[in-house]
Amino acid sequence: MNNKPKGIKFFIIIVCIYIGLFIFDSNHAQLAIAKTSHILYTLLPIFAFIIILTALINYFLKPKQILKHFGEDSGKAGIFYSIIGGILSHGPMYAWYGMLADMKKHGLKNGLIAVFLYSRAVKIPLLPLMIAIFGIPYTIILNIYIIIFAIIQGKIIDKIMETKSTQ
Amino acid sequence: MKKAFIGSIKSFISILPVMLAIVGLVGIFQVYITNDMISSLFGYSNFTDIFTGTFAGAIATGHGSISFIIADGLKTQGVSLYALSTFTLAWVTLGFIQIPAESLFLGTQFTIYRNILAFISTILIAYCTIITLGLIK
Repeated sequence: MNNKPKGIKFFIIIVCIYIGLFIFDSNHAQLAIAKTSHILYTLLPIFAFIIILTALINYFLKPKQILKHFGEDSGKAGIFYSIIGGILSHGPMYAWYGMLADMKKHGLKNGLIAVFLYSRAVKIPLLPLMIAIFGIPYTIILNIYIIIFAIIQGKIIDKIMETKSTQ
Repeated sequence: MKKAFIGSIKSFISILPVMLAIVGLVGIFQVYITNDMISSLFGYSNFTDIFTGTFAGAIATGHGSISFIIADGLKTQGVSLYALSTFTLAWVTLGFIQIPAESLFLGTQFTIYRNILAFISTILIAYCTIITLGLIK
């Protein structure tokens, strides 16, 4: 596992933007800091969950098993696990990138990452709100299409990346 | 197990700079791009609203429930269901400000292809959903 810090330059750029904001628009800068702190606070349990989940995956799923369940020959089961994982995963998409990158190093297919990331659009806790605004038929149809298109995206990504890697 | 746990913490610490940068960027976006600003983008024509919905959803940040609350307000203003669908869907599936982080972790090529596909899918899903809904009713 490569534990070299990632995105240092990106982090420095954002710090510079904040310094600039504090100089030219300190009111909004303070608000942005308050928003950022609030987001970080709400993300703490999700980060803790991801750390535990990554540890469990590293402990129970050896690279060979990751390859079997989520690799080239994972088939329909791999797609199914990715959809379920995507639906059940909470928090913002970027919180999951680290774990996915780790699994990718051990053989996780690009297509399944795409399936996982798009399946996250099925948000179980938000379904009651969606039903209240758009109705039950719309909610059911939309969520079925989300899953269908997540699978299609996965297939296309695999095809494209496969073609690119053989070129 | 202890080794796996320590490895997981070390791995998480290594991604902290990019996580903090993304969250910092989200904070700035939430201050400068308000819900009212997003709502004001709609209402020109059904066709443009679909693309506005997709772009606005992709640029906006915050909890998914906010997109539904904005959509509810837009619905009462007469914005089409196509546009509302692309907007709420893009909010949770696309994130322009996450692209640098996605590219850093999952590769630039993958990120470009995935986001283009997600963008197209969002529009197609909105169309398919409403056409199917029309066929059922």
